[in-house]
Amino acid sequence: MSLVEIKDLKVHYPIRSGFWNRVTDSVKAVDGISFNIEAGETYGLVGESGSGKSTTGKSVVGLEKVTSSSIMYKGKDITKKANRKSLDYNHDVQMIFQDSLSSLNPRKRIEDIIAEPLRNFENLSKDEEKLRVLQLLDIVGLDADALYKYPHQFSGGQRQRIGVARAVATNPKLIIADEPVSALDLSVQAQVLNFMKKIQREFGISYLFISHDLGVVRHMCNNIAIMNRGRLVEIGTRDDIYNHPLHIYTKRLLAAIPETNVNDRAKHRANRLAVEEVYREQQDKYYDDEGKAYPLVQISPTHSVALPEDVAKELILKEGEVQA
Amino acid sequence: MEENLNKHSNISAADLDRLTKEANEEATPSSAKIIWNEFKADKPAMAALIIIIAFIIFVMIASLFIDTPKMMETNILNYNAAPGSNGFLLGADTGGRSVGQQLIVGARNSIGIAIGLTIISSTFGICWGLISGYFNGYIDWGMQRVYDFMMMLPMTMMIIVLVTIIKNYNAVTLTLIFSIFYWEGTSRLIRSRTLSESEKDYVAASKTSGTGSFKIIFHEIMPNISSLIIVDTTLSFAENIGVETGLSYLGFGLPLQTPSLGTLIANANDPNNITQYWWTWLPAALLIIVLCLSISYVGQVVRRAADASQRHGAAD
Amino acid sequence: MWKTILRRVLIMIPEIIILSILVFLLAKAMPGDPFTGSINPKADPAQLHHLMKINGLYDPWYQQYWNWVVHLFHGNLGNSYQYQEPVTRLISSRAVNTLWLALFTTILTYCFALPMGLYAAKHEGKLPDSIIRVYTYVTYCIPFFVILVIGVWIFGYVLGWFPTTGSISSTANPGIQSIGSRFYHILLPGVLGALFGTVNVVQYLRSEVIDAKRSDYVRTARSKGVPEKDIYKHHIFRNSLLPIAAFAGYSITGLLNGSLFTETVFSYPGMGLLFINSISYRDYTVITALVLIYGILNLLGTLLSDIILSIVDPRIRIE
Repeated sequence: MSLVEIKDLKVHYPIRSGFWNRVTDSVKAVDGISFNIEAGETYGLVGESGSGKSTTGKSVVGLEKVTSSSIMYKGKDITKKANRKSLDYNHDVQMIFQDSLSSLNPRKRIEDIIAEPLRNFENLSKDEEKLRVLQLLDIVGLDADALYKYPHQFSGGQRQRIGVARAVATNPKLIIADEPVSALDLSVQAQVLNFMKKIQREFGISYLFISHDLGVVRHMCNNIAIMNRGRLVEIGTRDDIYNHPLHIYTKRLLAAIPETNVNDRAKHRANRLAVEEVYREQQDKYYDDEGKAYPLVQISPTHSVALPEDVAKELILKEGEVQA
Repeated sequence: MEENLNKHSNISAADLDRLTKEANEEATPSSAKIIWNEFKADKPAMAALIIIIAFIIFVMIASLFIDTPKMMETNILNYNAAPGSNGFLLGADTGGRSVGQQLIVGARNSIGIAIGLTIISSTFGICWGLISGYFNGYIDWGMQRVYDFMMMLPMTMMIIVLVTIIKNYNAVTLTLIFSIFYWEGTSRLIRSRTLSESEKDYVAASKTSGTGSFKIIFHEIMPNISSLIIVDTTLSFAENIGVETGLSYLGFGLPLQTPSLGTLIANANDPNNITQYWWTWLPAALLIIVLCLSISYVGQVVRRAADASQRHGAAD
Repeated sequence: MWKTILRRVLIMIPEIIILSILVFLLAKAMPGDPFTGSINPKADPAQLHHLMKINGLYDPWYQQYWNWVVHLFHGNLGNSYQYQEPVTRLISSRAVNTLWLALFTTILTYCFALPMGLYAAKHEGKLPDSIIRVYTYVTYCIPFFVILVIGVWIFGYVLGWFPTTGSISSTANPGIQSIGSRFYHILLPGVLGALFGTVNVVQYLRSEVIDAKRSDYVRTARSKGVPEKDIYKHHIFRNSLLPIAAFAGYSITGLLNGSLFTETVFSYPGMGLLFINSISYRDYTVITALVLIYGILNLLGTLLSDIILSIVDPRIRIE
């Protein structure tokens, strides 16, 4: 059984208009997506900004009011507040935020920030708690003198590691990492990611890794879901997505990864333009009449794509030919 | 978790004392301390603060030695005695009552009511604003309609009507009546700041850390708007002195036998007093001006100091 | 935008209803009855009883309230017991005085505040800015009634420059002389009110102009070489002055509430003074009418400001 099973998650925001302010329409931030997160793995959720990936993450951790869905954890549906409470759900599922500065209360000292989940979920004595905080700081590579300082005294990378330490404090089973490094310098990104990986190895934590950066996702994730306009367009293993992308949106994302090899610049550019050409010409093939993605179709045990079945088959054949 | 941590971290219980000491040496002063330090550096503000506090303590203590009912007895012989005559340092009013003594007792009453009003209305307003700003949706909507209604009320008139209805009121009931009407401004201010604070990720982080709503409101959000609260409270204290004295001036504040700075100024309503017997009302007017100015001056400095501590928070 | 305004007006209706009930009940709860004082103290209690009865004062409160509301819609606010004339006529003669004073003060306030705010913003952080800031705060934190008393003492009694009571000189002839006399009477309270009521406009205008000064479009204009004078004329003023107009509504609201003090100090026969007098005579009909009128005027003031803001700032319109 998977650690968390998300079924048909929908988050719609009502649009009120007219004289009586009635709900006349809704913004479908997340519109019926399903996926499972396995214990110990890193599940990547990729999409452009506004695709609903952050909303998905917030729903899983219980911050967002979902419109309809079931998110099963330990056999209970945690979209209901009572179930979250009875399970001590956030003891097991924590979150790392994108903006390290605003996610740490500027008026609290590091000790109190990291100890917050401990105080709520575990009964520790003062000394035990302090020891735990010190150990957590040590694990993310910070010294003990951070204890009584305030968040603004640290650099972005250090702050994000403090955020990681807080998320790890209760030894959760799953951590939602919402673009954890996209606000950081490239040099610091690797450092934070490596700490996250190290912690995953040592504590056996699963991550739901939300990012728009396919390069980073490749480094972190075993399984990846691509999200577009509130729906999933492709699910697969790292190999499926990077080497056998089927949906045009995935291909566009992949083509947009900057290439460091200068010699291949022309080739890379040609490839990108070709993909754009296909996207322009065949948009109606990949999206339905309302511009939404089709339901997912399974094409291999690990790989699913949001296309009508015949189109999918055609694409697989074509790809086979190219490889052959 | 514990074994796990022990396995992967080199820190053990044995290091606790040493590391705590290290951390203490590196500890950053709290923002209250930063504000206090900024304040201490500003000599005129310090002087203003000391004068205000000394004056308040003086009137509190001095009024204990004044027999108010006896002081308020009419004594025709001393009718409008000039300052310095008949043993009256500041003269006497139309009823032959010592202006100086009335000034002390009146200042105590006026300041006392202003303090009470500030504490009650600010506390209520802050709580209301925090709750309304944090919970959006119907709760906020309903609480905002109360603002709209309060804003429509002609406050001074309502207070006057209430005061005439309640027969036996004293300083405490009067303070409560004022408090009903004077919490709205503070509350709106707090609400709008709370609204923007609630959007920040640290509030979301507290939610996922299992912290309850009220603890988030009062332990996470409130410290972040504390400088606003301090500044607003200081300034409303200055304003509130005007509330009671104003009503007393119109004759609807404290009862006649209870002197207030406002009732003293009301002596000026008599054309004879205002032209010839200036000592019956002018000292009280000047005292109010000086009090309000120094309090709001302190408020300004607190604002600057709070901004400075905010800068420490936002910088780097 | 009409929708926004209409919705705002609709929200006002329940507020006015609640206010009217509240006011009515408070007036009922006031001690004493309006007749005992005004008729002969030796009068027969039976006669008093009869008077109360024909005036409907023994009916249950909701019935009295309903009668009152029905009369209200016929423009009949009842008779003043004290003045023995219809409340409508009584109040409308006083309202003119109060509104004149409020309007005059508001215009003067803008006359003082606009140059100050602009000047402060132009010299941001320099001496003029600090002086104006100190000035606005000093005027803001001193209770206004104290200023009025001191003002009337110095300029009215000691120097004798201005009249200290009334709204018009009793010897003024109709025509230009009476207008002049009226103006003379509101000059001192108006100037005092304006001098001591600048803080909101000055501070708001100052921060608006400073924001505009730092904005990208002004920087662009400057880098294009637009003369500094034209930058202020075409870019900064236009964007900063309009929101300021929105303060007019709030300002009138504030002045109305201050009218109780102004009119008491200057014995100026407006609605505020009428209220104070009516309270001592327990003149319910006048009291309820005045509180209701002030409440509605407050609402209209806020509404006016909101409408101006929604015209100026499209973000508010969407809600």
